[in-house]
Amino acid sequence: MRRDPEGPGGGGPHPPRLRPPAHRVSPRAVAHWAIEYLLLWGLAFGLAWGVAVWIEEAHWHGLPEWLDRHLWLLPALVGAAGVLTVAVAPVWRYRVHRWEVEADVVYTRTGWFSREWLLVPVGRIQTVDTKQGWIERLLGLATIEVNTASHAGSSEVSGLPARVATRLAEDLAHRAHDLRDDAT
Amino acid sequence: MIAREDVPPAPPPRPAAVPRPQRLHPLTFVVGAVREMVALVGAGATGLLVGGLSTAFYFTLAGLVFGLAFHAATWATFTYTLHDDRIELRRALVGRSVKTIPRERIRGVDVSASLGHRLLGLAVVQIDAGADGGEGTLNAVSRQEAARLRRVLLSRDAAAAGPPGATALRPPRRTLARMRRRWYVYAPLSGAYLLTPFALAGSLLSALYNLGDDLGLVTEDRLTRLGHDVIGLPAAAVLATAAAVLLLMPVMSVIVFTLFNWDFTVYARDGSVIAERGLVTRRSVSLERRRIRGVEFADNPFERLARVVRVNALVTGLGDAAHRGRLLPAAPWGTAQDLTARVLGPVPAPLLPHPRAARGRRVARATAPPAALGALSLAAGQPLVAAGCAVLACCAVPIGLDRYRQLGHARDALRLTSRSGSLRRRQVVVDNRAIVGWRLRQTLFQRRLGLATLIAAVGAGDGGYPILDLAEDDAVALATGITPAWLEPFLDHPPSPPRKAA
Repeated sequence: MRRDPEGPGGGGPHPPRLRPPAHRVSPRAVAHWAIEYLLLWGLAFGLAWGVAVWIEEAHWHGLPEWLDRHLWLLPALVGAAGVLTVAVAPVWRYRVHRWEVEADVVYTRTGWFSREWLLVPVGRIQTVDTKQGWIERLLGLATIEVNTASHAGSSEVSGLPARVATRLAEDLAHRAHDLRDDAT
Repeated sequence: MIAREDVPPAPPPRPAAVPRPQRLHPLTFVVGAVREMVALVGAGATGLLVGGLSTAFYFTLAGLVFGLAFHAATWATFTYTLHDDRIELRRALVGRSVKTIPRERIRGVDVSASLGHRLLGLAVVQIDAGADGGEGTLNAVSRQEAARLRRVLLSRDAAAAGPPGATALRPPRRTLARMRRRWYVYAPLSGAYLLTPFALAGSLLSALYNLGDDLGLVTEDRLTRLGHDVIGLPAAAVLATAAAVLLLMPVMSVIVFTLFNWDFTVYARDGSVIAERGLVTRRSVSLERRRIRGVEFADNPFERLARVVRVNALVTGLGDAAHRGRLLPAAPWGTAQDLTARVLGPVPAPLLPHPRAARGRRVARATAPPAALGALSLAAGQPLVAAGCAVLACCAVPIGLDRYRQLGHARDALRLTSRSGSLRRRQVVVDNRAIVGWRLRQTLFQRRLGLATLIAAVGAGDGGYPILDLAEDDAVALATGITPAWLEPFLDHPPSPPRKAA
């Protein structure tokens, strides 16, 4: 086996790069993520509000004066972060999330702020699960979970249309069964 | 002395060589009973001293008798049967339970012997069958039987299941590495052993306190007096005690280290790598060679100065891997490399450094937590805390620089290796065939710097081993080089001569 072009400038003029996977997830996934973030950040905002009010009512003497005067900052900051996340993250995630199965390799790209590319050959897959939370059920979406012997090699693609997810899971499970070597 | 109770005509499930259920060694119950006896005799003597021939004493006596009867009954009702394809552990004391462990699932057989067991020539056999097979313990069998069980259970060949004690068939044993005398001196270099004396002293003190409390010896009055006595001590005495403790720490750590790692020997036999160690409790762990997927070297800055390193095996489906996967305690670098070469194969070298951009990132990540804390406390009007954080952040700079210096990776046709960390540096060597997938991770910051972290997913050890902050293109090239077939369909510009799979 020859040494391949490693190191900067080692190969040809265009060192090979990963292209994005072919398929996007369903656009309804944006709604799904938005609802999820809204619920989560709403809860966090409520908690922060509660804590701020509670501290104010308690009139603790040990509290630094600066903190006492700026207590409203806590719910305000949480709220601002929440609004920003709900506005930005779902669309951003939709632009990043992609998947593809080609030549018996599952290739996914997930994340938003940080991205993750995952390449798992079908032969090393141990189980394929699909799952649907209640929001996903309302929107007709499903999450597909590909598990290998290693948690680092296990991935999850959410926001697939339920029909596509079911078919994909069945296909993968069949192929994995046919190709399966010692999957560890 | 082989425990082999012939149970009258067992219903023969198969005509050929019906495996017979076997009992544990008859002396087993002595070991278990002695432990309880010591406790009970102690309690009985106390009862006798305090209350004479009172009810408490008779209760203790009854407890003793009951305990002995229990141990005898447990021994009498527990049998194990070695079948061609499985081992069955049958327990019938209160409820009836049969645990069946398929032999093909068995991943390791550990033999250990505490002081009591060793005096009686016994050993405890622990069978590990991974997550889906469960665990079984034989407590205890004779030492020959333990050796036979290990050999039979780990060799997949059913024909090897000869009669117990057939030691003539024993395959040759090849020593791979053996501890030298002077390695015991390396003990204080590892922080863990340096602190064990404190842990021991702490648990001893708390045990004493609890015991004293139970017996009504600890009263508030006495505690206060003790406190006053301690405060009343002259400064010189306190200093002397502190100095003595400081001096004793390395000595104690060597002693504790010796207890655990005495005569650490690694040898190969019949497709397994076996590590034996321990002074009082002798422990031996068998690792099936084909399940060893890689090796991990770990050291800290002190160990680096002394050029010693600890070696662990990365084994598929090994529970408690931190202790059981240990292949060498702190040992010279050369020996560690040598052992790795024999167990796994040569380590790819030399390590390639990572791009310059990674240095800033390592430093930033080392200094960020104290710096952020400092900024917060400054905003909250705590200049003293902020100053402390600033000092910490400055101290973190050399650590970050060293973390960058230690980054490195290399590969050859068979193995991949990656190194990272400073205070706890780790270098993993992974068999290319053990990789089950690739994960490439890039945060927004890494993206701006053109870096990416490549994680090799491995079904052993931690599950995934990251190669931190590679240049983006190098990460893809590295993965492509090891498993071309997995990446080729997704590459933007496939290199002009298409390479074939290794």
